Amino acid sequence: MTPRLRKFALTAHVTFSVGWLGAVACTLALAVAGLTSRDAQTVRAAYLALELTGWFVLVPLSVASLVAGLVQALGTKWGLFRHYWVLAKLLMNVLATTVLLLYTQTLGSLADVAAETTLSRDDLDFLRTPSVVLHSGAALVLLLVATVLAVYKPRGMTPYGQRKQSEQRAASQP
Amino acid sequence: MADPPTDRGSTTGTPLWVKVFGVIALTLVVLFVILMLTGGHGPGRHSG
Repeated sequence: MTPRLRKFALTAHVTFSVGWLGAVACTLALAVAGLTSRDAQTVRAAYLALELTGWFVLVPLSVASLVAGLVQALGTKWGLFRHYWVLAKLLMNVLATTVLLLYTQTLGSLADVAAETTLSRDDLDFLRTPSVVLHSGAALVLLLVATVLAVYKPRGMTPYGQRKQSEQRAASQP
Repeated sequence: MADPPTDRGSTTGTPLWVKVFGVIALTLVVLFVILMLTGGHGPGRHSG
């Protein structure tokens, strides 16, 4: 990649990733409101907003962050499997995106109940689940760790990275 | 992601932070499997 293109790809990756982190923080706030509020309308609104946020903010940002990260890793000398911190970020991103895609089913079920004309006591009990708080809290921790890895770039090369480095050194020597 | 400095990551062996991450990940996987086996977790649990 040219330096200009590399800068653009980096900007895209940071924007999508930090945007995802912020969206997850909003999700956590909505989930806490859905879990703790005594007002049925607030609970209903929280789960309807959560489903929309999931499909139209979280999923697009997570996929965009993953794709931009892959482009960034494969288009630079960092590579995808050479440094432990890059590999760790890749695994965390894939895990978070997969769980998110699976979890949209749960968010859909919760939103369907929340959209009912009248909410019974059982419906409210069903909606007041700690599941969304736990999942969004775990996602927030995971994304914060990924951000720390991206900024600090801790040392350590994988065996594959060490082998590649040795090959490059051998090839560059006259 | 700027290009890596030439000396970065040149240490051999697995760094401590990777080992710590590995232990945490393994613990979470075991916990997840236990939850799945006991029916305490999974998408179907919320769809009833």
